[in-house]
Amino acid sequence: MSNKKNILVYGAGAIGRGYIPWLFNPSDYTLSFVEQDESIRNLMLENKTFKTFMTTDVGYKELICNPHNCFMPGEENPLDYDGIITAVGPRQIFDLRDTLSKAKCPVLFFENDASLPEKLMSLTGNDNFFFGIPDVITSNTAPQSLKDLDPLAIVTENGTCFSDQGASIISGDIAYVDNAELHKQWMAKLYMHNTPHCIAAYLGAMIGKEFLHEGMINQRIYSIVQGAMAEMEDTIVDLYGIDREFASWYGHKELDRFSNEFLFDPISRVAREPFRKLGLSDRLIGAAQLCLSAGKIPENILLGIMAAFLYDEVKDEDFHIKILIDALDPGDFLQLIINLNPHEALYKVMIDRWENLKNIIGDIENE
Amino acid sequence: MNRLTVAINAAVAGGNLLKEHYGKVFKERQKESLRDVVTDIDELSENKILDIIKKEYPDESFLTEESGLHDQDSEGMWIIDALDGTVNYIHGIPMFCVSISYWKNMEPELGVIYNPISEDLYYAQKNLGSFLNQKKINSHLLEINKNLCVMAFSGKAHNPKERSKEFELFGLLNDLSQGCLRTGSAAINLSYLAEGKCGLALGKANKLWDIAAGIVIAQEAGLDVQFKITNKENFLVDYIAGSSEMILELRDNIDISYLDT
Repeated sequence: MSNKKNILVYGAGAIGRGYIPWLFNPSDYTLSFVEQDESIRNLMLENKTFKTFMTTDVGYKELICNPHNCFMPGEENPLDYDGIITAVGPRQIFDLRDTLSKAKCPVLFFENDASLPEKLMSLTGNDNFFFGIPDVITSNTAPQSLKDLDPLAIVTENGTCFSDQGASIISGDIAYVDNAELHKQWMAKLYMHNTPHCIAAYLGAMIGKEFLHEGMINQRIYSIVQGAMAEMEDTIVDLYGIDREFASWYGHKELDRFSNEFLFDPISRVAREPFRKLGLSDRLIGAAQLCLSAGKIPENILLGIMAAFLYDEVKDEDFHIKILIDALDPGDFLQLIINLNPHEALYKVMIDRWENLKNIIGDIENE
Repeated sequence: MNRLTVAINAAVAGGNLLKEHYGKVFKERQKESLRDVVTDIDELSENKILDIIKKEYPDESFLTEESGLHDQDSEGMWIIDALDGTVNYIHGIPMFCVSISYWKNMEPELGVIYNPISEDLYYAQKNLGSFLNQKKINSHLLEINKNLCVMAFSGKAHNPKERSKEFELFGLLNDLSQGCLRTGSAAINLSYLAEGKCGLALGKANKLWDIAAGIVIAQEAGLDVQFKITNKENFLVDYIAGSSEMILELRDNIDISYLDT
C-alpha cells in the first residue's frame, strides 16, 4: 500500500499545473486534478504526464509531473484525498460549494480572495477551509519552444507559498504561518502585487502587447507601474504598520517579476474579468480608496483604473465594459457600473481627472 | 456610436430626468382609462431620448408611446416608452423605467430598460447576451410552484367585457405559484423575469412599446418568449415568457387560450 499522500487540485491552469507540482515531491505525493477544459483534460489523460518550467536567472528548470488522474468536475470524490487545493479563480469557487462541503481533509484556497474560507464556512457549516498565498507569477501558457516539447508546458517563477497553519497537515514545500504573518503577506500580495500587476496588464493591453514583460519595456508604462507600487507601499506602511524594509524589498521584487522575459505571462490572463478587479474592495478601486484614506491621491493607480475601464477584449467574460464606458457619461458609469457613490472622495477625484486620465492613456496608446 | 451604446445612453439620460422630477408636482392627463395617464415628464423624457437617438440615427423609424409612429420606411424601428409605470411614478412607487428597443423587420434586435430609482440597467442585444449593470444574467430552471409570476393587464383599448378572464387567469397563476404580482410596469416584469426574480411573465393586449425591450432582454437571458401582435393598428401584444419547461408546465395546468400567442 502506498504511503503517499493524495492531493486533489481543482484547476489545471496556471497555478494548478504550473506551480503546485513544485510543492509536492512525487516520491511522497500523488497529484490528481479536476479541470473543466476538455482539451486540457484529454491531453493530461492521454499523455499521462506534463512538464512545468520554472524560470531561473538564465532560463528554465524543468519538472515532469505524472498526474494520477484528471477528472471532469463532478467525477471526483473529495473523500479520497488528504488535502485539496483550489486554483480556479474566485468566481468559480461557489460552483464547487456542494462538492467541497463533502471534504473531510483541509481545503486550501490558492485564490485572490482572502474572504473565501469564511464564506465557505458560513455556507457549509464546515471549518476545514483555509487560505493560501502562492507568491509567484505563473503564466497559463509557455513560449512556443517549450510547447513544442510538450503541448501542456507551462511556466512559473520561483516563489514561496504561504498558507494558514490550520492546513499544515497537507505539508509539502509550503510555509505554514500564523494569521499575523498571513495577513502581512496578503496585504503585500493584494496591494503590492495584484494592484500594480493588473495595472501593468491593462496598460500593456492599451499598446497592443500580448505578454506582460513586453508592456513593461515601455518606459511610460514602467514608470506608472513603479509609481503605483510606491503609492501602495506608502499606504500599507502607513495604515497597516507593514515594515518599510519588507515593503520596499517586496516592491522591487515585483517590478523585476513583471519584467521577467522568461515568464510569458499573457496580458489576457492578468487583465481578465476587469469588473472583478474593479470591485469596491479589490485591487484597483479598493486600493485607491485605501490611498485616499491615508491622505494620498494615487495618481498612478487612477491611471490604472482608467486603463481597466478602457480594456477592450471581446473574448473576456467582462467584454461589455467597453459597451458601457462608451455609452455612459463618466458619472453614470462610476455610479451605476462601478457602484461608487457621488459623495465619495474617489468618485469626485475620478470625475475631476477623467479627461486628463483618458488623454494620458490615449497618449500611451498612440505612441 | 453603435445602436446598443446609443440606446443605453438615451435610456440613462431619460431615466435621470425622471429621477430629477420624481416626487414633484406635475401636470397629468388621462388618456384611455384611469390607469392610462401621461405626465409632462413622460414627454420631456421622450424628447430627451429622441434627441439622443436621432442625432446618431436620424433616418430611422420610431414608434413611441407619446408621439406615435414616425415611419421613415426604414428596415429598422426604434420602439420607445420613455416612462413605463406612469401611475407608479405619480404615486411615488419606485417601480417605473425607461424602455428602448430596436427591431429590424419586426424582429427584436436589442433592448434597454433602466429604472433610475433602483439604478438597475438591463440591456441585451441579439447573440450578445443579457446584462444587468456589470453582470451577465441567465435564466434559472425551477418549477412554477417555487416561483413568482408577473402579469400585465390590458388597457381600455382592449375589450373591457373580457376583463374578468384576465382576473381569473391572474387568480389561477396566483394559486399555482408562490404568487402572482401586478407591478404596474410590463417592462420591469420582463426584466425581473430575465434576472430570475420570477419564473413567468404574461400579458394580454399590452402595448408593444412596453414590452419590446423586455422581449429581447428575456430572450437573451435564455428564456422563451412567445408573443403575437394581435392588433396592429393599436400595437397590442399578447405574450407568455419563461423557460420552455415552465411554459409547458403552465399550459398543462391552466387553460391560457385566452392569450393569443
